[in-house]
Amino acid sequence: MSNIKQNASEEAEFAKPLYTPIKRRSFFMYAGATAGATALLLSGCDDDNDNVVPNGTVSLGSGDVGVLNYAYALEQLEAAFYAQVKATPAADFSAVEKDYFSQVAAHEAIHRDFFKAAINRDAPGKIIPTLGAADLNFTSIDFTKRASVLATAKTFEDLGVAAYNGAGKYLKTPAYLVIAGQIVSVEARHAAYVRDLISNGSFADDSIIDPATGLDKAMEPVDVIAAAQPFIKVKLDASNVGK
Amino acid sequence: MDFLNLLARLADLDSTSAAPQPAAPRRAALGQLGQASTALLPGLLLSALGQPATAGTLDTRTRLDVLLLVRQLAALDNELHSRALGLVPGYPALPLTATEKAGIQVIQQQEVQRIALFSQLIVDGGATLPATPRYDFTGSKNGTQAALYPNIQTNPDAYLLVAQVIKDAAVRVYKSQVDFVRSDIYLTETLLRTHSAEARHAAHLRTLRRQRGVVVKSWVSPDDAAVPATSAAITRVYEGESSSIQTYNISDANGQLGALVSVPFDSTLPINVATPPLSPEAILRKVAEAFDEPAEAVVATNVAALFTY
Repeated sequence: MSNIKQNASEEAEFAKPLYTPIKRRSFFMYAGATAGATALLLSGCDDDNDNVVPNGTVSLGSGDVGVLNYAYALEQLEAAFYAQVKATPAADFSAVEKDYFSQVAAHEAIHRDFFKAAINRDAPGKIIPTLGAADLNFTSIDFTKRASVLATAKTFEDLGVAAYNGAGKYLKTPAYLVIAGQIVSVEARHAAYVRDLISNGSFADDSIIDPATGLDKAMEPVDVIAAAQPFIKVKLDASNVGK
Repeated sequence: MDFLNLLARLADLDSTSAAPQPAAPRRAALGQLGQASTALLPGLLLSALGQPATAGTLDTRTRLDVLLLVRQLAALDNELHSRALGLVPGYPALPLTATEKAGIQVIQQQEVQRIALFSQLIVDGGATLPATPRYDFTGSKNGTQAALYPNIQTNPDAYLLVAQVIKDAAVRVYKSQVDFVRSDIYLTETLLRTHSAEARHAAHLRTLRRQRGVVVKSWVSPDDAAVPATSAAITRVYEGESSSIQTYNISDANGQLGALVSVPFDSTLPINVATPPLSPEAILRKVAEAFDEPAEAVVATNVAALFTY
């Protein structure tokens, strides 16, 4: 009984507004003391083995590893989505569509596993946690309806393409840039195919290709993660990806 | 990079002794760029400097080379599709369905947009645009040799096959060209965004062919019916595409390029998502589908050369 009370009072202490200014002020005092201190702080974040910062947010990390983790997160999301589609196919899928999702499910699982292997070998200890079923939120998708599944597939594939297109400039290792290129064109082929399933001829329409330049979309990591976040329960922080 | 090394590379550039085949255009372009004191120049040099010191046998390209290449491929594509759609005098439209035409128009118009973009980048950089090539998509070089695709101006199937091959080649070649422009963030992103648009086009052309009864997926697959080997250049477009070995470089402690390792898809990875589980051989075929392979520029320029005289 007394223990519980004590805990409750401790929590109440932490909740007091007074604490926040003090902590923040001391943080700034240290962070602002020297540039070196800031660098130390940042490098400390980089070396976090599980990439989880105190409030439960998963940091994708920085530099090339950050980009790889970012791609790994997106590929995990796609792979989990297609695995679910494959496990519970919509009743109004045609045989061809069922076959499509079965093939794409394999591709995305392979991409996911590729990044897992690459990060574990190349940057041991820096990989983000696995995004399991409990970490994902597919409640907005009606897996029993073809239209809902196709619309989500289109969203994920277009988002994936835009993500790779926007992240390429952050990769410092040439080999990674080539690998990203090897994957993004397959994602773009998926996107084109699923778009044509929804509406034949929409594979590269003005909603995704800039009609002034003929260029596909590119998005910054933080914007991509913001778009993907409704499908992922754990909060992802992409603010240092590529930096 | 130390300064002496930099000077040595500049001297190399100047004498063009280390430059590959298109030495004269490169020298001319550098001259023009120098006169115009353009924004392209620093990056142009940087991308050359970025090459390994032993670049003699490697494909080395400046940003201008890359821009000229992608413009050449876009122009080739535009002409092929414009003729098929009946937009070029003397070339009646192919008997395509209205749906097919609509999709091909999307492709053709986006090529026009990108030709304009690439042309502007080249001209803004102080270089001049090359003369418009003469095209013969039968591959007969204006009747001076046997045609590779004699019915391409009348038969949609022949046309769509060539269209697919050109797109697939471009998708491969873009992957290798991005490396030559990495010093330029804008151009890197422009190439990446073109590359994925090209992959969308390639997928659509493959879908059109599949709808016409050809055994071909929207992505490059070992299960695709083989593309007839009308010439070595055509065969080369798909060489190595069925690769199921994916490699990447480990970066060392300083972030430099390290050893090349392959991902053991064939032995250790849990990628068996099928029920019932796929055989190891079937998994590797999926791995081949899941990655498009890069190719050097010559793969695409050789194809372009078949249809140019």
